Amino acid sequence: MLKVENISKNYGKVKAVDHLSFTCDNGEIFGLLGENGAGKTTTFRMIMGLLETKEGKITLNGEKIDYTKTDKIGFVTEERSLLTKLTVEEQIQFYGALKNMQDKRIDEAITYWLKRFQIEEYRTRKIKELSKGNQQKIQFICAVMNHPKLLILDEPFTGLDPLNVKMLKEAIYDLKKEGCSIIFSSHQMEYIEEFCEKLVILVHGKAILNGYLNEIKKEYGIQKIEIIGDVSKEEIEKIKGVREVIVKNNKLVVQIENETVVEKVFEKIKMNKILKFEAMEPTLNEIFIQKVGALR
Amino acid sequence: MSRKFWYLTKMSLFKKVKSKWFLGVNILFALLIIFLCNIDSLITFFGGDFDEGSQIVILDETKEVGSSLKSLLLSSEYNTDDNTRYQVSFSSKSLDDEKKLLNKENDNRILIVLEKDATHYLKAKIISHDKISSLDYQILVQNINQVKSAYALSLSNINPQELEQISSPVEIEREVLSTDKTASENMDLVMNTVFPIIIMPVFMLTIFLVQMIGADICEEKSTRSMEVIISNVSAKVHFASKVVAANLFVLIQGCLLFLFVLCALLIRNALVGKNTLSSVSTFVKDILGGLATTGFIDKLWYFIPLFLLLIIVSFIAYSFLAGILASITTNMEDFQQIQTPMMIISLLGYYLSIMAGAFEGSLFIRILSYVPFISSLLSPALFILGQISLLDVFLSILITLFVIFLFLRYGMRIYKAGILNYSNEKIWTRFAKTIRNKDI
Repeated sequence: MLKVENISKNYGKVKAVDHLSFTCDNGEIFGLLGENGAGKTTTFRMIMGLLETKEGKITLNGEKIDYTKTDKIGFVTEERSLLTKLTVEEQIQFYGALKNMQDKRIDEAITYWLKRFQIEEYRTRKIKELSKGNQQKIQFICAVMNHPKLLILDEPFTGLDPLNVKMLKEAIYDLKKEGCSIIFSSHQMEYIEEFCEKLVILVHGKAILNGYLNEIKKEYGIQKIEIIGDVSKEEIEKIKGVREVIVKNNKLVVQIENETVVEKVFEKIKMNKILKFEAMEPTLNEIFIQKVGALR
Repeated sequence: MSRKFWYLTKMSLFKKVKSKWFLGVNILFALLIIFLCNIDSLITFFGGDFDEGSQIVILDETKEVGSSLKSLLLSSEYNTDDNTRYQVSFSSKSLDDEKKLLNKENDNRILIVLEKDATHYLKAKIISHDKISSLDYQILVQNINQVKSAYALSLSNINPQELEQISSPVEIEREVLSTDKTASENMDLVMNTVFPIIIMPVFMLTIFLVQMIGADICEEKSTRSMEVIISNVSAKVHFASKVVAANLFVLIQGCLLFLFVLCALLIRNALVGKNTLSSVSTFVKDILGGLATTGFIDKLWYFIPLFLLLIIVSFIAYSFLAGILASITTNMEDFQQIQTPMMIISLLGYYLSIMAGAFEGSLFIRILSYVPFISSLLSPALFILGQISLLDVFLSILITLFVIFLFLRYGMRIYKAGILNYSNEKIWTRFAKTIRNKDI
């Protein structure tokens, strides 16, 4: 389990991370969200021990993270951290050796992962000759080849087409099953919603939202209704408690003040021909915009 | 951790040694060295007249001094067993007949006409179809003057024994009273012959060293691989691996240059068909003979290890500085700009060491010989010339070691902070702040 307790980091007078705490259990995927410059990279660097924490502490399975532990930590950075002049094989061997893996195990891992990601033919190709998507796969392989206990994924799906995203998602779920703690960071909120049970949203290094995603959503409650059917926009707008009605692809999206309005809307339209009526919690994207936007 | 250190070192070294760049540069070096060592054979092969011997014909109208001139020319230092510069013969023809012969095309003989002169004992004419080389002209004039002196003395009723005593060179015994200096006028021989040959590769290897460390660190930074590497090994281990790899690289490169010289000499041996190695050894013997008169040979046993030690510590200091500078830049272009002053300092050291003999007694040059990065080139030059003592060389080594200590103490902070920083702004402000920050 990764435990981050009350960590802070300053760059001069700028607070990059401000008393941040969270935990990520074994076999759990944790979301770390924030705008650009919110302190995500600094947090990752502190977890990896690249930066000293001003205060607080970080432990992995109860032990302080140092260079004896980092062999079991995988790190997929936002930019592709690959030496472009090396071949695929050399690159994976290089990072494998830095993870203290024996040559035989590295070779086995190369064969297994290249086959799994369907890029066996690129084994002797130079990294710079690969597409961005394939480079991303190599970076992922380098991070997970040593069966990490902690995996940090910073925008892991950048440059990947839907088929390759699916391939990587399956690999991430397999690692979760192995008991790996995974920290996931992305600006694509749908991935966070899909993967993460828990999350933290950072603004100027401070956690403004921290906890289980379903609990956070419950706190926000039902905030909108989606209706498909023979209903007019004007008819809904007249109902008390309705904030706004938007027509989107033959669908009405009704923004409401609270859950009690759902019943009122349903009562009003129940005699009409209705194909879909769904009361919905806010998406993570909406929560993010509400929370972060309000602080701007 | 040592496994990771050696792996990183091996990786950095192999990346350089296995590159096409390394292969290409060394092929060029090999060709250049072979070309330079065999330049005379190549010129001759393509139809030049480099080192071609001259045929000298003496028309001796005095009937007395011709044989002396012939002996002098044949025993000239340019006429060795391996290299016959002059072939000398006597002419029995008249001057007009010889001139007619010389007028014919392609007759490259040199005719020397010796005649008696009532007031100046001897007069001579040098006649040739074309212009002769200035070296040949100098040698001929010098030998004719020598013959004239001997002839004049012989006409002054001086017996042969006295004549020989007058002609023999003065025996000069040179004594230097200072004990802590290698002062000798003959050291110019070393400075003009041996020193530039040794110092040029040292200077060249310094450039290779700086470029290798810079390129390696910049590549890892610009591709953001540094982030992952530093997640697995400490900045100290990473830096040490770069320093060791770069120094091993210059060692390999140095050995290769030495090997190329050996190959070039063997090729020369095969091409010329003479024992070049023995002529090289004669050349070395001549230099050593010259050095023996200065007493420098006796000091070689401690001068060579000391010189090597100074070069090694200077290389380490250069590696540290190059690594630190590379860490605060974000790409190779920035590094090239930031390392330029370092290269200018090194170049200054190179030129000062070559011209050291011209600044004898200069306090400024002496002070510069203590300055790290310059001392590796300048200090040995001044020591050979006897301008500084052994103690001064030791001092240069100690100062360089102190600079390495400062790099370790403060430079490591800059390196650790710099390798993960990708900003180009306020580099020097960050530089100063990092030095002051003890937490890094």
